[in-house]
Amino acid sequence: MSTNNDANLIRMTNQIAINLGSGRDEDAAASAICRHLETFWARAMKQRLVASLDQADNELSPLAHRAATLLATRLAERQAS
Amino acid sequence: MIEHFDPRRQANSVDFSKDYGTPSPIPNANAAQVTLEIDGITLRVPEGTSVLRAAALADISIPKLCATDSLEAFGSCRLCAVEIEGRRGLPASCTTPVVEGMKVTTQNERLARLRRGVMELYISDHPLDCLTCPANGDCELQDMAGSVGLREVRYGFTGENHLDAAKDESNPYFTFDPSKCIVCSRCVRACEEVQGTFALTIDGRGFESKVSAGQDEAFMNSDCVSCGACVQACPTATLMENSVIDHGVPDRSVVTTCAYCGVGCSFEAQMKGDKLVRMVPYKGGDANHGHSCVKGRFAFGYASHPDRLTTPMIRDSIDQPWREASWEEAISFAAKRLKAIQAEHGRESIGGITSSRCTNEETYLVQKLIRAAFGNNNTDTCARVCHSPTGYGLKTTLGESAGTQTFDSVMKSDAIIVIGANPTDAHPVFGSMMRKRLRQGAKLIVADPRRIDLLKTPHLGEAQHLPLRPGTNVALVNALAHVVITEGLEDKDFVAKRCDTDAYQSWRAFISEERHSPEASEPITGVPADAVRQAARTYATVPNGAIYYGLGVTEHSQGSTMVMGIANLALATGNIGREGVGVNPLRGQNNVQGSCDMGSFPHELPGYQHVADPIARGRFEAVWGVKLDDEPGLRIPNMFDAAIEGTFKALYVQGEDIAQSDPNTQHVEAALRSLDCLIVQDIFLNETAKFAHVLLPGSSFLEKNGTFTNAERRINRVRKVMPPVAGKQDWEITQDLANALGYPMNYAHPSEIMDEIAQLTPSFTGVSYQKLEEHGSLQWPCNDEHPEGMPTMHAVNFPIGLGRFAITEYVATEERTNRRFPLLLTTGRILSQYNVGAQTRRTDNQRWHDEDVLELHPSDAEVRGVRDGDWLGITSRSGQTVLRARVSERMQPGVVYTTFHHPGSGANVITTDNSDWATNCPEYKVTAVQVEKVSQPSAWQQRFTSFDQAQKGYLAKAQQEAP
Ligand code: SF4
Ligand code: SF4
Ligand code: SF4
Ligand code: FES
Repeated sequence: MSTNNDANLIRMTNQIAINLGSGRDEDAAASAICRHLETFWARAMKQRLVASLDQADNELSPLAHRAATLLATRLAERQAS
Repeated sequence: MIEHFDPRRQANSVDFSKDYGTPSPIPNANAAQVTLEIDGITLRVPEGTSVLRAAALADISIPKLCATDSLEAFGSCRLCAVEIEGRRGLPASCTTPVVEGMKVTTQNERLARLRRGVMELYISDHPLDCLTCPANGDCELQDMAGSVGLREVRYGFTGENHLDAAKDESNPYFTFDPSKCIVCSRCVRACEEVQGTFALTIDGRGFESKVSAGQDEAFMNSDCVSCGACVQACPTATLMENSVIDHGVPDRSVVTTCAYCGVGCSFEAQMKGDKLVRMVPYKGGDANHGHSCVKGRFAFGYASHPDRLTTPMIRDSIDQPWREASWEEAISFAAKRLKAIQAEHGRESIGGITSSRCTNEETYLVQKLIRAAFGNNNTDTCARVCHSPTGYGLKTTLGESAGTQTFDSVMKSDAIIVIGANPTDAHPVFGSMMRKRLRQGAKLIVADPRRIDLLKTPHLGEAQHLPLRPGTNVALVNALAHVVITEGLEDKDFVAKRCDTDAYQSWRAFISEERHSPEASEPITGVPADAVRQAARTYATVPNGAIYYGLGVTEHSQGSTMVMGIANLALATGNIGREGVGVNPLRGQNNVQGSCDMGSFPHELPGYQHVADPIARGRFEAVWGVKLDDEPGLRIPNMFDAAIEGTFKALYVQGEDIAQSDPNTQHVEAALRSLDCLIVQDIFLNETAKFAHVLLPGSSFLEKNGTFTNAERRINRVRKVMPPVAGKQDWEITQDLANALGYPMNYAHPSEIMDEIAQLTPSFTGVSYQKLEEHGSLQWPCNDEHPEGMPTMHAVNFPIGLGRFAITEYVATEERTNRRFPLLLTTGRILSQYNVGAQTRRTDNQRWHDEDVLELHPSDAEVRGVRDGDWLGITSRSGQTVLRARVSERMQPGVVYTTFHHPGSGANVITTDNSDWATNCPEYKVTAVQVEKVSQPSAWQQRFTSFDQAQKGYLAKAQQEAP
């Protein structure tokens, strides 16, 4: 079941990436997506998404992947502070 | 001579229980004041006032029958005749406007004779059974006979008359008794002017004339939608509520707010002791001005239905019978379980759902319980599944998660765009107002896959229909904006002054691209390019263009994008910040706006303050006395996923039926089954409650004090008219649960909760029960800056300073048709039923809609050999259900339609998990399906029936066993 949930989170991230991606350069897009995840997603969902970065076949689109990586850094920073 | 001039009483102290005879002239600050004299009293009234109304304002009552202040004067009965110095004859005061220096006499022998003569004629054709008449004591004819001093009827009753005309009892809520009709035509005019349905006519002429519904049909078979406006307008017992016929005329009344839709109509609950006899729309209601629809007006019987839950129930697992419990036992059972689950599975393993049907105070309390006592932000509300994209989209572009206008604003619109909404069914009273404006000549543009009824309404201006394919909203709104920009129709001045330049420039470049042109979009939307161009020109070039939208906008995978697209369009054309324009979400449930305002969403504290904002959070922490989580919690679909996965274990649901209303029913059921503790607080054993372990009987809106906030941000009082059936108002139950969990709450009255809300929510700081008492209602923001509230938003600036255009790329939904699923299913609602139907199904509203049907176009029916009334299996990627067919020209080929008012229909068995990218609002409006003739209910329906029977049996058993 948990893989099901992961797949769902990835699908949602890809969908957000498509919608927030257009009209922005890639840097701006990635940070907009990351900001969206930070603002609206629950702690556990963010952690799961970041954890799925470790799986090579995670099906995140390139932009979504970039945003999730950015999210990972920001979560780590927050933890450190 | 008595000087009778009190400016206050003329300006705003109208007594709403009094009939002034004719409507007040359209309020206009510049209207000249006219001075005149009536019976020796000098008074000043605004230009355009009738003599009848002027007299009533001075407390001089002139007899009248065919006039009433909800309708334009008609001048047919002649009872209101007066003498005017220097004029010949005896003019009717209802149709005579005041003139400077006029001298009016309302009583003298000549007038008295005339009036007696008029009354004599009326009474000679009227049964003299006043003592046994249901209207006895509440009849204007009786009052007038008394007031003109009628003592004899010289014509006798033996001549030709209508005394034995047959009654029409076809409508379940009111009776038409033509023998008592005086043919004043108030009913006919009410149906036209107030409701806009044109169901009634006066047939025949002279003595033969009579009122009839449609072509001499019974009311139930006519176009009548049972709004009650004619019953309200009728001065006699001819049109009379059945509840008054049965129980007699009520003796006291309390003003309260309808608990059905987001219009938020004010009603007088008219009582006899503790018995609610009738609901009468309140003329002083700022949202409805005395009008109503069949739900609020008549469908209140559910509150005293035998299915009401009256005692708390508990059980260990859902395949066990229920056991009745005391309040203490049930609450402590629930609290113990919640604590044990958190101890075992962690703080974040539980959550709750607030209700859009409960009051602001109750919603506030539930989210407070979750944040402060559960210690997490796992709170959400049913707005998730309807208007969450509105919150996101409008906050991003305009800076506030709410509609920009009052309902009355539509009366100043010159063009009205309606997108994905069906106001005449879902927001009927506002729909009537819109129709009135259309009759005055406003232009109408409807963007909807279906030909909604509004298009059929009589109107003076043009009506355009853009019949788009479901799921292509964004492509359409982009095409409209493309026309505005490329044809130079934008409001450059407004954009320069009010909008962020960078965002505007990038949006402008984006939207100007050829791929957004109507011609390029036509293959996607299916709407002819010419029609799109024409609609865009209409909207952009009229002085005032307004956009109204509903769930057909939000419930899509790009719901949030579409809301932003609408805001872009309004910003580009400068249609924001004054009356007659704006961006207006039509909210579904009565308190959806309120439940969003009150912090129901997992990422926002009350007043849309983000949980990560340390200053806002700090203020809440100080008042609530606990540390709050700074991370958003789970949204409803996320809760379901987590429940199935096993990390989310307990849920407290107040007044929502997620098992019926949320998409992909089988997924929802699986989630509910995997909970260790489901606490449901509701007035009935709803679908969700069948999966519950604790059942807490809630109270209906008639049994509680509080406030609702309607779609125009209007905070209205809900007043208790009878004691709660199960002993507690909903906020009291939440408070008990908090206390049992060890988090103290000690409110004695909802007004104290409102005081706390005002303290913590910047847009509510000026709100209090006392102020609501004084003003009737308040539209937030209501604070130091706007002490009386703010009817029209964004007049000077936006809460985010400048308006922000958003890039709205069209992304096709993943839900596509193919060979296996060639049709698109879209869902909606109808007038007589409300939402999941738990209330309306328990009233006579069933007579209009006792099952959900599948509407399909004749061509789709023909290729499948389907005829009206056949059983149809509807299959999607999620599941299958069976409904009866209705072949309908309203549909476009390839699109089928149903409602979700009845649980056994399983409309949501077929809807999918797809959702809005930004908010996870489900994509109810687009599901690819196949349809075929079948002979038996679907497997899900068969399971549903047996589960339903088992659960009802468990409840019945507990109720029987109870001492
Ligand atoms: S109930 Fe409403 S719709 Fe029906 S006839 Fe009366 S005014 Fe018209
Ligand atoms: S039914 Fe009532 S309102 Fe209509 S014409 Fe007769 S008396 Fe007047
Ligand atoms: S259901 Fe809506 S329109 Fe009808 S009476 Fe209630 S609030 Fe008004
Ligand atoms: S009330 Fe004026 S003519 Fe009937």
